[in-house]
Parts: sequence; C-alpha cells; structure tokens
Amino acid sequence: MGSEPIICVESLVKEFRRTKQQSGRFSAIRTLLTRERTVSRAVDGISFGIPEGELVGYLGPNGAGKSTTIKILTGILMPTSGTVHVAGIVPWRERKRNAAQIGVVFGQRTQLWWDLPLSDSLELVGRLYEIPPPRFRFNLKLFTELLELGPFLSTPVRQLSLGQRMRGDLAAAMLHSPRILFLDEPTIGLDVVAKERIRSFIYELNKEQGTTVILTTHDLDDVERLCQRVLLITDGSVLFEGDVESLKNMHTRERDLIIRLPPGSESIELANFASARIVDESGDLTRVRFNPQSLPITELVSFLLSKYAIVDFSVKEPELEEVVRNIYAARSL
Amino acid sequence: MACGVAQAKTVFAYRFDYVTSLLGLLFQLYVLRAVWSSIYRGHDSVSGVNLSTMVTYATLASFQNWLLNPWQFSLIPDRVREGRVAVDLVRPVGFVTQVVVAQVGRTAATLPFGLLLVPALAILGARTPVSATAGFEYALSLVPAYAIITLLSVVVGMVSFWTIELNGMIVIYWMISQFLSGTMVPLWFMPSLLRDFAKILPFQAFSYTPNAIYVGQIGAADAIGAIAIQLVWVALLYVLCVLIWRRAIRRVVIQGG
Repeated sequence: MGSEPIICVESLVKEFRRTKQQSGRFSAIRTLLTRERTVSRAVDGISFGIPEGELVGYLGPNGAGKSTTIKILTGILMPTSGTVHVAGIVPWRERKRNAAQIGVVFGQRTQLWWDLPLSDSLELVGRLYEIPPPRFRFNLKLFTELLELGPFLSTPVRQLSLGQRMRGDLAAAMLHSPRILFLDEPTIGLDVVAKERIRSFIYELNKEQGTTVILTTHDLDDVERLCQRVLLITDGSVLFEGDVESLKNMHTRERDLIIRLPPGSESIELANFASARIVDESGDLTRVRFNPQSLPITELVSFLLSKYAIVDFSVKEPELEEVVRNIYAARSL
Repeated sequence: MACGVAQAKTVFAYRFDYVTSLLGLLFQLYVLRAVWSSIYRGHDSVSGVNLSTMVTYATLASFQNWLLNPWQFSLIPDRVREGRVAVDLVRPVGFVTQVVVAQVGRTAATLPFGLLLVPALAILGARTPVSATAGFEYALSLVPAYAIITLLSVVVGMVSFWTIELNGMIVIYWMISQFLSGTMVPLWFMPSLLRDFAKILPFQAFSYTPNAIYVGQIGAADAIGAIAIQLVWVALLYVLCVLIWRRAIRRVVIQGG
C-alpha cells in the first residue's frame, strides 16, 4: 500500500426512482398517470479505496448494491451523489477514457457477438479498443493457452457452453491489457472444473501482470482462493472491510476440535475449562468448541492427551460460508 | 467500424432470413403492380401521372424501403430491454456511434441481396429514371434519405431508455412513417390537407423525395430544393439525437443483475 489507491470511492449514493404501482380498480391506467414515485437507495454512502495490484472481493447478499457500484465504477450509471475516481478518471464523465483502462465481465451477460465465432468476436474487440496488432497477437496467444480457448475459437458464441463463453468473455475483457478488471459474478452457474480454470486465470493475471481485480461473487470459495481483502456490503453500506481471516475472526472466534476416541471408551469431561464445551458426541467422535484466545489449543490438546487414549484429532477452521450466512441472517432479523 | 463489420457478419449468419424476406418483397411488388394496374384500368393517367410512372414509383419505394429501412429497427430497444446496453456502454466507442455504424454495416451486407433483385424490378415494370439528371439527383438524394432513416431510428429507439419496452410504439411508428413517407401511396395522391401535413414531417424526405425525383414528379430544378430540405432534416434530427442522448445517458437504467 502506501501509494494512492487506484480506485477511490467516497460517500457514494445511488437512488432509483420508479413509479409506484397502483392497486385496485384500473390499476394499470392509474399507474400510468400517477406522479407518485418510490425512491429506493441501492447504494447508501459507500466509501472505500483499493490500492493498485490488489485482488478484492466485493461481497453482499442479493440486492445489497454490489452490481450498482460496479456499474458506477465502470461508468455506465451516474451516481446520485458522491465521488469516484478510477485511476484518476471520473468514470461516467469520461466513459471512453475509462473504458480503455478497465476490463469488465458481467457474468450474466456477454460482450461477445452472439452469432459470430469466438475468434471473430475477439478480433472485433481488438479493433474496437484499437489494440496494436503485436500486443493483440501476444495476448490472444497467451489467453488461448491459459484459458484453453483453442478447441472452440471457431464456434459461434451462441453454441458455446456457459463455461466456454465465460472464458471467452474473460479473454475479451483482458485483450487490451487493462490495469483494472471488474468481474461481476464470473463463476455464476459454472461447474467445479470451469470455476477452477477461471480462478486460476484471475490469480495469474493479478500475480503476473499486477492487474487490480474487483470481484463480486456469491461463491465464497472464489473469495477464499483468490481475495486478499474483502469488502462486505449490505443494504447499500459497508459492513466489513479487511482480510478474509479477520472477517472470520470477527464473527466466529471459536474453533472446533474434533476428537476420535477408541470404541467403548468413556466420554470426555471438560469440567476445568470454562471456555470449552462439548457440542456434539456421536459414536466415537467428540466435537469440542473452544475459544483459542482464552484457551490456547496446545493447553487443551495436552490436557486431553494426558487423560484420554485419543486415536486422532483435528481442528476445524470456521468456514467463510458459515460466517457470511450468520452475517446475512443477522441482517434480516 | 468493427461494430459495422460485426453487424454485417450477423446478417450473413442469418442469410436464410434475408432470402426469405426477399421473396416476401418480390410478392409485395407483384401485388402492388396488380393493384395499381387495376386502379388505372380505363384511365391513361390519374392526376397527370400515368401507370408506368406509378408502378415505377411504387416498386422503387418498396424496394428502397426494404433495403434501407430495416424492419428490425435500430439496435437500441433490444439492447436496452435485455440490459445488454451495459456491455455497449463500457466500450471505448460512443454508444450512438456503435448503433449507427452497426446499422450501416447491416445495410451494406443487405446490399448484395438487393442487387440480385434489380433485374426482377425491371421485369415488374420499373423504368429507368426520366432523365440522366434525375438519375443523378436521385442517387444524390438517397444519401440524406439514408441519414434521415438512421437518425429517426436512433431517436425513436432512444425512447426505450425511458419506457424500457417499445415494441408497441415501434409498430405504430412504423405504420405512420410508412404512410406519411409516401411509401405506400405517393404524396401527389393524398388529399391536400394530408399532403401538407406529410410535407412538414421528416418522413417524406426519406421515401417520397428520392422516388419522386426519379420518376420526374419533382422536376430536375425543384430537386435541388428538395435535397436541401432533406439536408435540413438531417441537421435537425442530428441535433435532436444529441439532445436526447444527453438526457438518456442520465436516465440509464440497466435491466437485470
């Protein structure tokens, strides 16, 4: 860090106005005539900064305002208020200049030409972005290799599988070597193998080319695998900002120790540890929940080893999935 | 440029569609000729226009309409409804430029299909222009005519930024513009009130003007004035297009996700 962040967002607000639906008799006509509007705040005063070269996960439940933020950052929506700078540019004021320095993948829609072969689409993107031919060839070759595009380069996009299309879209977004890459749910609906391929591509880009990546996703494996830092928003405002570890720690400090005892042995007594308790006993497996901050794991394990004939044990880290589920659930209460 | 090429290639991807619509056009031209012939039965000329002039006008107007004024309209309403406008807006080329270039690309790709049809036009009764000057002026007036068609489709298409859904409106717009442009019935056959109304609207400038020049209903000298009026429409519509676009971009609502 230290240097100026490449993306600066300050007190960003985006409101959507829509005509209020009237109900009752002649509701359709009354809806058409009414001046009554409802205002909803999709983004409600978000601020954050992203340093160059970082790979950030932008998380939040459906409707939290993630996509709206991405659309503002890419310059296709104007915010209601607040300031945004993407590499020094105000995106919606200088949309074309901004476009040249960012790459965007919207998981739910494609930038490729539906009826044309993938290779044609990529070539057209090359011309739209006025990519110098040597760099175009270099990038195309690199991406064809990394994303294994070879087998379907000449297939019309409408005939590609979702995974293939997404790989094509990623290549198209990165052809002009943008400094910043926005990925809006790039792994949505993909199988495990396809996800993995896309993740490793994103990882490579960030590591090798230093591309700053902003990733929105509902797949927390994406986040655990890729993201150095996480921004979690709900209801249009930032709930958490920091690394994945501290997100987990903030909401679940406790760890589970799973102990396997020989069949038929007596059950474990933890009377002298205030911060540890047995949460589950099934067959020869016992699950002990403890707080590693008040009770070091070494102390707990050495106590257990000295008293019981333990066959095996393992420590279970809290899963991000569970953490986030707790956060989302708490929100809806 | 690239967008135009893409759209042109898309046309070729659906060449079967175009060949089909070509057959439809041929049928339409045949029926038109039959209708005008039956109207003219027993008359040498109506309002000073003879049958062969009338058939030439009707054939040419329909053909030109098919070629230059695609039923698919501009790309804007579809892109907005499907939310794909998001993708267009993150490109380093202006959105309106993309739309216009794509439309030109589509026309360019339709052109070879159209050329196939030229012999058929002659067989169906279309004559050569009344004079070499008229022929030249006709070709000249097609340029602003095409610009007007394209600008109108962009302007109307941009309404979808406000309404999202535009299909119903497009159908109505299409019918009105077809009629008032003189594609179905030439302006000289319209009642004077309707004719005056049509004349103050831009539609006649893209269909009636070039075709009336071709058949000599607008004389060689008057043609210059008619082309000047076309150019005024191009300028006005261009300004309107820019103004609407400035407001539209602030209105952008992207559908879905």
